[in-house]
Amino acid sequence: MTRVSIDPVTRIEGHLRIDVEVDGGTVQKAWASCTMWRGIETILRGRDAREGWVFAQRFCGVCTTVHAIASVRAVEDALQLEIPANAQYIRNLILIAHALHDHIVHFYHLSILDWVDITTIPKADAARAASLADGYSTWPGNSHAKLEEVQNKVKGLIGSGQLGIFSHGYWSHPAMRLSPEMNLIFFAHYLEALEFQRKACQIVGILGGKTPHIQNMAVGGVMNAINLNSLATMNMDRLGVLQSLIHDIIPFVQQAYLIDTCLLAASYPEWFHYGRGVANYLAVPDLPLDAKATQFDLPGGVIMDGNLAGSRPIKDWRDEKFRAAVAEDVTHAWYRGEGALPPWKGKTEPDYTDFQENAKYTWVKAPRYNGHPMQVGPLSNVLVGFASGHQLTHKWTETALAKISSVHGLKVPPEDLQSTMGRHLARGIRSAMLCDLALGHWQLLTANILKGDDATYNPPQFPNHEIAGVGMHEAPRGGLSHWVMIEKGAFSNYQAVVPTTWNASPRDEKGVPGPYESSLLSNPVADPVKPLEILRTVHSFDPCMACSCHTLDGRGREIAQVKVL
Amino acid sequence: MITSGRRSHKRVSVIGIGNVLLGDDGFGPLAVEMFRSAYECDSNVEILDLGTPGLDIAPYLYDTDLVVLADTILVDERPGTLCIYSEADLFSRRSQLRVTAHDPGVQESLVQLRLAGHAPSELIIVGVVPDSCGLGESISPWVLSASFVAIDKIARLLAERTIACRRREVPAQPHLWWLSGDQRELVSS
Repeated sequence: MTRVSIDPVTRIEGHLRIDVEVDGGTVQKAWASCTMWRGIETILRGRDAREGWVFAQRFCGVCTTVHAIASVRAVEDALQLEIPANAQYIRNLILIAHALHDHIVHFYHLSILDWVDITTIPKADAARAASLADGYSTWPGNSHAKLEEVQNKVKGLIGSGQLGIFSHGYWSHPAMRLSPEMNLIFFAHYLEALEFQRKACQIVGILGGKTPHIQNMAVGGVMNAINLNSLATMNMDRLGVLQSLIHDIIPFVQQAYLIDTCLLAASYPEWFHYGRGVANYLAVPDLPLDAKATQFDLPGGVIMDGNLAGSRPIKDWRDEKFRAAVAEDVTHAWYRGEGALPPWKGKTEPDYTDFQENAKYTWVKAPRYNGHPMQVGPLSNVLVGFASGHQLTHKWTETALAKISSVHGLKVPPEDLQSTMGRHLARGIRSAMLCDLALGHWQLLTANILKGDDATYNPPQFPNHEIAGVGMHEAPRGGLSHWVMIEKGAFSNYQAVVPTTWNASPRDEKGVPGPYESSLLSNPVADPVKPLEILRTVHSFDPCMACSCHTLDGRGREIAQVKVL
Repeated sequence: MITSGRRSHKRVSVIGIGNVLLGDDGFGPLAVEMFRSAYECDSNVEILDLGTPGLDIAPYLYDTDLVVLADTILVDERPGTLCIYSEADLFSRRSQLRVTAHDPGVQESLVQLRLAGHAPSELIIVGVVPDSCGLGESISPWVLSASFVAIDKIARLLAERTIACRRREVPAQPHLWWLSGDQRELVSS
């Protein structure tokens, strides 16, 4: 039995420690620990409920808009305040653009180097790589000239003897199996991805006033002025710019990103059998289609024990079963007390003890749904959509599975998406869907404006008695909910149950581990000193550990440590 | 309209990094907001509070000519000490530097952008040593006074590179929603 501790896990947003016990080349036990205090909600107590979103969008450095919108939705829910259709569409477009940005960055910049060995790129035959890529996709970035240019850059980098940021990769690891040509294709897209994540940011900037901290949100709608005859407001010119940005991003996502996830899957098919973990899935409905938010473009629902046929829908944001089901357990987290409390009654009182694997060992609480751990994220989103017969989900899931089978003839049933590779593939599928939906919601907004509707805001009115609300969002990393209590217009309690809390959850009162922890069981580890395979599974969740603090370190400390005990 | 030759077309970003909810970690956002209020620049200069973007800083560095980054730094100096680093400093110390979870991802983004051919031509870091970065704390007096020095330094760095930047006769109202009323007054005075 070998004990391996990875602290911190790199290439994620935030600070995560993973401990595993390895025996016979596979993981037997695992613990996930967030080593950063995350009690930022306490700062919201007593604040004006109309301004909560301004603070909430500073919870995390990368998911800014996500928290801003969940916050205003929570207050609107407490007030039962309807917002204008234009406000729904503008918010939806911001959320879609943010998610596309996140998924692109996650796949290329945070994950792909777990699978792609860039040190083999100088050996690649660029012409062969080009013709190989040509057979898979029509993406123009796959030309011989472009691939050769990338190859020369990588040769220069390696020739300089300074791999820099790439020097910490597990290069030449036996689990790296792609040909030099495939590595070249993936890395070329890694570099191109920078341009498209930027375009996605520009959409958020145009609609939100600024990025990464949007300025246009309000309890009751959005502050965008709409006037087709005014240069300074949302007009046909701006709508045109938005449309062309969406059209720029679509080919990259649907012809490069999605195809790359399929190629990766076809090249590493065994990873459809690792990393399943908690097979309970939760997705919340999102992208409302009307002012009252009765219809949604992304369905919500719950799947238990991987039973796709038995999925149950969460129809809308007022779903009583959802509200009654969620509780957060602090038995193994560094908070005072034991057992679980519903978020509206949740407390955030720190009780730090050091890492004690049989007692408290993380800052992350353990959210439970009717007492069960749940996996959230694009995989849950896609499985819930697939199980409920959602057309767009079927279209892109079937496209992706057909693509995989066209490479080496591998037939992947949808059930196999419940895996490390499935999480990457699901994120690619979801991104392809979001491209279609970006155009869809752009059309809804434009048509509504052309109809003469320029309303964007309904002013809120706060009662003196205490009210409660929950704001949901199917965020890039999964189902997010902000739970608020409001009295006389100020927050009396605020709890954010964030996607990574669901996934990085520690064990609960009954000792049942969370999704990261379960997903690592039976995960292979060829070399405990180079636990690449563990990173593959952990990274597939897109961890974001509330990156609420950072400091540029001029003093110099060690690179991420892997301790084998 | 043609203005003073090539220089007016330079794409310049003055970026603040840090979490405003965590005391002195908010130095970067504070500095850029104070800079915006005290100085007037041409439209080719973008002034940005990016919070804690991690790798997501890349889009804001993309195809720029000059980036001035205001940030907290960890060096063994007294709180409030101001240090200026060039990009070369950042990379020559590379072997000792840690890519931490708290790292703003600047180095990684720079390497990516260089490989992709879209890196900034020059990057300068205006760093201040924090005192305390606790949740809900306000900015310490050391960092607050260093911020006044820092914004003049930023202005000088821009002027040295022939980027137009004028002190406003009447300062614009800074938008410092996260500071206490007392501190806001101190900044405005």
